[in-house]
Formats: sequence, C-alpha cells, structure tokens
Amino acid sequence: MSLSGIRYLSRQGLHNLVQNRLMTLASVGVLTACLVITGVAALLSANVSNFVDYLGAQNRVVVYVELDADDATAQAVGDEIGKLSNITEYGYTSKEEALEQTKGWISEYDNGAYASVLDGYEGENNPLYASYSVTVDDLNQIAKTTQELEAISGVDFVDSPSELASTLVGIKTTVNLAGWGLVAVLAVVAVVVIVNTIRLTVFARRKEINIMKFVGATNGFIRLPFWVEGTAIGAISAVLAFGIISAIYIWLLGQVSVSGISWLQSIYFQILPYRAVWKWLLGGFAAAGILLGGVGSSLSIRRYLKV
Amino acid sequence: MIEFCNVKKVYPGGNVALHDVNLKIEKGEFCFVLGHSGAGKSTFLKLILREEAATEGKIQVGDYDLSKIKNRDIPFLRRQLGVVFQDFRLIPTMTAYDNVAFAMRATNVQEREIRRRVPYVLGLVGLSEKARRYPPELSGGEQQRVALARALVNSPPIIIADEPTGNIDPELSVEIMELLTAINKVGVTVVVVTHEHELAARFHKRTILIEKGQVVADQPDGVPVVTPSEVEVMR
Repeated sequence: MSLSGIRYLSRQGLHNLVQNRLMTLASVGVLTACLVITGVAALLSANVSNFVDYLGAQNRVVVYVELDADDATAQAVGDEIGKLSNITEYGYTSKEEALEQTKGWISEYDNGAYASVLDGYEGENNPLYASYSVTVDDLNQIAKTTQELEAISGVDFVDSPSELASTLVGIKTTVNLAGWGLVAVLAVVAVVVIVNTIRLTVFARRKEINIMKFVGATNGFIRLPFWVEGTAIGAISAVLAFGIISAIYIWLLGQVSVSGISWLQSIYFQILPYRAVWKWLLGGFAAAGILLGGVGSSLSIRRYLKV
Repeated sequence: MIEFCNVKKVYPGGNVALHDVNLKIEKGEFCFVLGHSGAGKSTFLKLILREEAATEGKIQVGDYDLSKIKNRDIPFLRRQLGVVFQDFRLIPTMTAYDNVAFAMRATNVQEREIRRRVPYVLGLVGLSEKARRYPPELSGGEQQRVALARALVNSPPIIIADEPTGNIDPELSVEIMELLTAINKVGVTVVVVTHEHELAARFHKRTILIEKGQVVADQPDGVPVVTPSEVEVMR
C-alpha cells in the first residue's frame, strides 16, 4: 500500500473517531476503567510478590558443618555452597563466633544471672557447630537446594524453613493467578466494548464497504480505517488509565510514608517505588490498549468483508 | 473475455439458479443479458463478480479462472470490471468528485493521478459542472452518470451494467445507453443486464436471453427470440 493511501485511510479512521464522538467517549470510558482495574490488579500482584520475596529472603537456611570438622573442611563446605545455583548470599559463623553470640544472648537473660554458664566451653570443648547462613533465590526450589546442601561433604545437617517457604509460595501463586485471571476477564470485556463500538461504525458504513469490495479494494485497505479507529481508542484509553493509576499510586505512596501507623511505615520500603513501575505500566497499557483496539476492530469488520 | 462452460449454480436449500450455461463474450463486444425477474440474471452477475462461486463448470473472466481463483486475487479480478448498479450505490455524504475518486483511492492510486483523472472522466459523462454536488442534489440520470464515471475511472476492460436504466426516466435511459455505446466504441467490453426487452431491441446488439436459469436464446443481431414468458413481461 502506498504512503498516500495509508495517510488517506488513517485520516478516515481519525475522522470516524470524531464523527462518532459519543460512541468514542463511551468506549474510551469503559476501556479506561478496564485498564485502570487491570493496572490495580497488576500493581497489587507485583507488590504482594515483592513483599513475599522480601519475607522469603528473611528466612534463611542454616547449614551446620560437622562438629569435628577443621577449618579447611569448613572452608571447603563454603566453596561448595558458593557453587550452587539457587543461592543469592551466604555468610559463615565459626564455632568461636557461635559461642560468643550464645554467651551474649545468655548474659542478657535474667539480668546476667546465667552469664557464666558457658565458661569453660572454649576451644576443644566448644559444643556448638560452625554454620553457614544461606539465602535462597527461588523459594520454589528450596527443597531441592536443601537436598543439595545436605549432600555436601562435611555438612552435618541443614535447618530449612521449607514449610514457611511453601506457604509463601502458595500466597504468591494465588495472588498471581487471581491477578492474571482478572486481567484476562477484563481483556475480554474490553474487546467486547471495542467490537460493539466499531461494529456501529462498520454498520453505518456497510454501503461504503460494499462499494469498496466491488471496485476491487483489498481487505487490508478496507480494514485500515477501522483498525486506526480501534487502536486510537485503545491508545487514548491507555494514556488516560496511565495518568489515573500514576496519580493514585503516587498519592498512596505519599500517604503511607507520612502515616503514623507503624505497620504501614514498616512495609513502606517494601512497596515498589513509582520509578520502578511507571515504564511497565505505560508499556503494558499502550500494548494492551493498542492490541485490544486492533483485535476488536478486526473482529467487528470480519463479516462485512465476506462479499 | 468472459466465458461460461457448463456452469451450474445451486444455492444452499437446493434452489437451482443457473444450469447448463455455456456462453462466450468476446473482447470489445457489447451485449445485453435479458431475462425477467428470477430468471437467473442476478446470479449470472454474482458469478462474474465472484460474489458467489459456481457449483459446477468453469468461468473465465479475463485472465482469471474463477473456479480456481484464490480469495486474495478477487479484488484484482474486480479491478478488471467496472460495475454500474440499478440503485447507483453512491455514497450520499461524498460529492460526485469524491464518489468517483473513492474508486481510485480504494485501488491505491496516487492522489496526483486522482486529481488528473477524475475531472477528465466526469467530463466524459458530462458532469464537470456538478463535480462538487452531493448525490441527493443530482437527478436519477445524473447519479447514474456519476456511477458510470466511477465504473470507468480505473479504465477497466469490462463494464457490467446491472439494470442501469431501471431507476431513471425513459429519455435519460437512452442517454445512459448512448454513453455505454460510446465507451464500447473505444474497445471496452460492455455487458448490460436488464429485463427491459424494448431497450435491448432498440440498440441492435447481441442479446442473450436467460430463462429459468438457462440460456434460451443468443441473437447476434439484437433481435431476441420472444418466448411466451417474455411476452408476459412485455404486457
């Protein structure tokens, strides 16, 4: 298709948009509402995921080195842990450090009444294990990672919060599924709205379409103005939805940061900052709006092309 | 140019609209396809335009074998055919100029060429002065001339006119027919589908008579065989 043809058809599409302004406004309104709800669901899902990841990261797997292992064995265990794929970080606590830490806790208990209870357990008498505190990357893989850690030579046993991990993974999966389910339902609603709007335009112009067919216009040529109309409705709705969601998100973040409620303040740093989400929102809305508009217009014109 | 070989068309439900149709219309020919309502003329047209596909037989239009044509080639087949309808099929919200230009735009012609060609074709049908008028502001004859200009503007080798004089006064009918004759003289194949027996008789052109879905007469000199049912139509 020539450039002048594309220009002409695009102008026709935009002209239709203005000419059917009431229907355009109605479609933009409903599509914007759909996108805003979708955006809220997506942001909620992303924040819950982020929060669950944060909680997961707080729960570490502790790998205890065999009681009689020497420093070289403990070092070798550390090297093996470093080679595993699902590990984000790990830190070593020697037998001596473990003893000092335990002494510290005990001395704080009951005004130091038991402060001396561990005296004499230094050196060879130390009953505590050297250990590695390990943070896993993907909580889904925690059982496998625990097995891998247990298999390392020199490891006595592994303390793994697998029950908590499975609960967190369950929450995350449920939130994600519900979020995506909502997105899918709203996408269908949006397509129905667009299809109905464009169908009215198509119906009003069915004579024109019929004539186009008889003078030898290709289906692509006939579709283009309607496609432009649909995608323009999608793009306008995307920009509006982006503005509304951005305003709400920034306002909510502000409210959380200045609120006097302690638990809200404590989760503030786990809420995804606006700078981390705006590109995804804008890109997602633009893609969804244009795609839904395009698909909607293609569906509405299909039956009129069979001449 | 147009050839039907043993063509049969049966619609869903079993209605046999055409059967055993064999005819050939040569390049540059002018011919009438005559028949009363329900005889099969509309189906004949729909098959040429590939609005419908034949149930049996072979139809050749120009370079296209319509029994084998791919969907994507149908627009290009239709660019070989300029069609004039009884109800004009003009877009009332477009001027005469834009109605004609529309056919060029639909076939992806450059704007510069459109600006050159449309006034020329409107001049050929005698509507230069009324190029900026909208169809409701034009008489029936003028609207049909706009439709004719639209059919001509892409220079198709074949013009098909479906009851072109059906909605206009008898004196204007002659005018339209004379325009079609003039177009034929420059080498364009013209097929006029009509039920008006007298109109066909007046122009002494080849006349193909269709009745009950069959070609019952094909007269090269324009004097069609009058069948009992044709006599009914004339009454």
